Amino acid sequence: MKNKTLYLLFAAVLTLSLVLAACAPEAAPEAPAAEEPAAVEEPVAEEPAAEEVMAEFEGKMVQAPSCDYGGKIDSIVAVDAYTVEFTMCKPDPAFPAKAAFTPFGIYAEEWLMANASNANQETLLSAPVGTGPFALDNWARGESITYKAYDGYWGDKPAYDTLVIRWATEGAQRLLELQSGTVDQITNLSPDDYATVQDDANLTFLPVANPNVLYLAMTNPPFDNVEVRRAIAMGIDRARIVDNFYAEGSVVPSHFTPCSLPNGCVGDSWYEFDAAAAKQALADAGYPDGFETTIYYRDVFRGYLPEPGLVAVEFQTQLRDNLGIEAEVIVMESGEFIDESTNGRLNGLYLLGWGADYPHVTNFLDYHFAAANPQFGEVHPSIYEALEKASQLGDPAEAKALYVEANNAIKELVPMVPIANGASASAALNTLGNAHFRPFGAPLMAQVDPGKDTFVFMQNAEPISLYCADETDGESLAACQQVVETLLAYAIDSGEVVPELATACTANADSTVWTCTLREGVTFHDGSTFDANDVVVSWAAGIDASNEYHVGNTGVFDYYSYLWDGLMNLED
Amino acid sequence: MTQQTEPKLTSLAEGIADVEDLQDAGYQSDSLLKLTMRRIFRQRSAVIGGSILLFLILVAIFAPVIAPFDPNFVLIGHEDIKRRSDPCIHILGCDETQPQHILGTDGNVRDVFSRVVYGTRVSLMVGFTTVGFAIVIGTLLGALGGFLGGWIDNLIMRIMDVLLAFPSLLLAIAIVAVLGHGLQNALLAIAIVSIPIYARVVRASVLSVKEQEYVAASRALGGSKMHILFRRILPNAVPPLIVQGTLGIATAILDAAALSFLGLGAQPPTAEWGTMLGTERNQIFTAPHLVFFPGLAIMITVLAFNLLGDGLRDAIDPRLKN
Repeated sequence: MKNKTLYLLFAAVLTLSLVLAACAPEAAPEAPAAEEPAAVEEPVAEEPAAEEVMAEFEGKMVQAPSCDYGGKIDSIVAVDAYTVEFTMCKPDPAFPAKAAFTPFGIYAEEWLMANASNANQETLLSAPVGTGPFALDNWARGESITYKAYDGYWGDKPAYDTLVIRWATEGAQRLLELQSGTVDQITNLSPDDYATVQDDANLTFLPVANPNVLYLAMTNPPFDNVEVRRAIAMGIDRARIVDNFYAEGSVVPSHFTPCSLPNGCVGDSWYEFDAAAAKQALADAGYPDGFETTIYYRDVFRGYLPEPGLVAVEFQTQLRDNLGIEAEVIVMESGEFIDESTNGRLNGLYLLGWGADYPHVTNFLDYHFAAANPQFGEVHPSIYEALEKASQLGDPAEAKALYVEANNAIKELVPMVPIANGASASAALNTLGNAHFRPFGAPLMAQVDPGKDTFVFMQNAEPISLYCADETDGESLAACQQVVETLLAYAIDSGEVVPELATACTANADSTVWTCTLREGVTFHDGSTFDANDVVVSWAAGIDASNEYHVGNTGVFDYYSYLWDGLMNLED
Repeated sequence: MTQQTEPKLTSLAEGIADVEDLQDAGYQSDSLLKLTMRRIFRQRSAVIGGSILLFLILVAIFAPVIAPFDPNFVLIGHEDIKRRSDPCIHILGCDETQPQHILGTDGNVRDVFSRVVYGTRVSLMVGFTTVGFAIVIGTLLGALGGFLGGWIDNLIMRIMDVLLAFPSLLLAIAIVAVLGHGLQNALLAIAIVSIPIYARVVRASVLSVKEQEYVAASRALGGSKMHILFRRILPNAVPPLIVQGTLGIATAILDAAALSFLGLGAQPPTAEWGTMLGTERNQIFTAPHLVFFPGLAIMITVLAFNLLGDGLRDAIDPRLKN
């Protein structure tokens, strides 16, 4: 009996100890400590660690052999673990606005060094490691991209766990999916669907204030003749196009750059429609009976061109009726179209547009009319010299005269015809908290609240890749932006530049040296700690053509090249 | 030998005498054409299909008279009308102040009815051209293969087998991708992918017909190979080809519409039903008339050819019925 009592007591103690042991991991205090950044949990203990990092830190740098290469960046130096210095070859007051653009996102140094090679290109293009609020979970090609909220995120964590980005090229399908509730937000609402969304109590209409322009471009003969280009400029009834093919709120542009940007529309206004004068100009150019040509376009919805096929046919009609020009309409595959058009290889007219990447007039003018841009054929010093000087002036009032000069030269030389500033919109379920669409960049998906575990965002095309240092399309940039962050960012409701991975970027007196102070306590999705070398390595991979990590989808690194006036060490 | 041939000669002579007796008695033999026509008119589906087809041909011929506008005429600035406006028929109650467009206007503010009417021309032209081309080439290849046999037959028919191994529309898309976009290239692509069907039909007929006694007789009389093939065999191998060709036109029209829908066939501003569907496919909920009427036109045309083809098959070759 006594033994039985002892056995029972022993068994009870054993059972209790097992229960306590089983419960211990959940109750243990180490778990949150492992998930939370050290700086958040124990700021006091963080300081020695940071000092240790500073003491051991060996800063990297990238530098151009000289500024003769024509680009804006001379060097990028990791001064210390949390300070990066950008030295410019020429003043660049627009540096913060450009540095906030997604292609200049920061990747983990180790990840980039391991994958930025031709051998590991697939990983480079499809499995980015950044510091963003979401970590990539799965990219089911042709279907969707799934992200999971990153527990170690330095900022406000998303209100939900799973983000899904899907795509559908057809506007009708996107709206149908939204109406049926299978997605929470869609982009590029068709103008014909505005009323449907506005009248639907279950949906929220979200106007997009992104400045944009559609232009009719022409490069090769007979459009190398400025008289022919002027005839086209006068012979197209732009108001008819905007009135009939664009959403309410769209306007006929007076200049190439939209007026919402400072110095965007200074100088003389564009040509008025005058069919008789246009016909006469064409006759003076040696084409009294017109000629045959081609109108190229890509069948991709954009805010500046919501219905490409219809607008192309309208151009075809106007060219025939107003100028006697017979044009064949040809739709091209998007990638091929961009490649051919931006390199000035299309023989004929083509419809292309531009949506602002960052809120500065240089994003429109310098990108298109720089001396190195072959898109419009012959480059014009009267345009690009004024732009080069203007881009170095931080004070818009001081730069105004130069932009007047450049805009007047553009009107005189007609490298293209600005057609429309399109109004565009997005739509969301009315249950979506903080639904928005930023004027610049994709929505901040971490800041919306779908009221459930998953937020599904539908855009109009699949991303090309998720290594956005070497991508230009908006769909790729939107997908990248959830994973990878930049030094600075655009505000949710304006073009104002706000801190992101850098707490501040300050310039010297003439904007030739920009010093960025980096945020501490930031970790990448692979667990590595963010520091200045990540910035230098990420930027070096893009800006330095001789860098061993200068590998991407195409290897062109368009935005590094265009926004910083060229790549370092680029061979002819 | 004499004993064997005599009865035949007697029989033939008696037969001729019988026919002459019948003709003398007032009986007239009908021609093959008359017999065939009589059989066709007994087939209800052939009559309905033929009637619709006749109507479509008349529409195509008289399109400029029937259509109120040029198919590419843009109404902007000429009428106070919005793009993608709904159909408006005054006698059915549409406001008299609105311009009448019985099938509405499209995204480029053009009269949809006029475009559907002119689209008939394109579709019929596509059907007849492609099938005509495919029949000519297919007949030649099939006839040569079937008649000559041996390695020539093997070579031709294996090539046809390879072509048949691909889904026809996919092969047409591939051909257009190589040749380039446009209606002409689309026609060529559809014709090429149709050739094997006709080659096989003709080859099968030739293989059957060439064993007939009258072919042997012609050969015995010293007829050349070309003479035997083109004068004795091919005319008797044609009936199944007519049936197959009629049904093939329907398929060709569908394929052409599909290519145009994908942007590979007729290019803007050509009024072609597939192009009209493709251009306005996004408006299926907001302006359904823009996809409904071109779709209906395709359906009616294809139905007409299918009905006619079925009827012809039943009339020309009753053995194939059921």
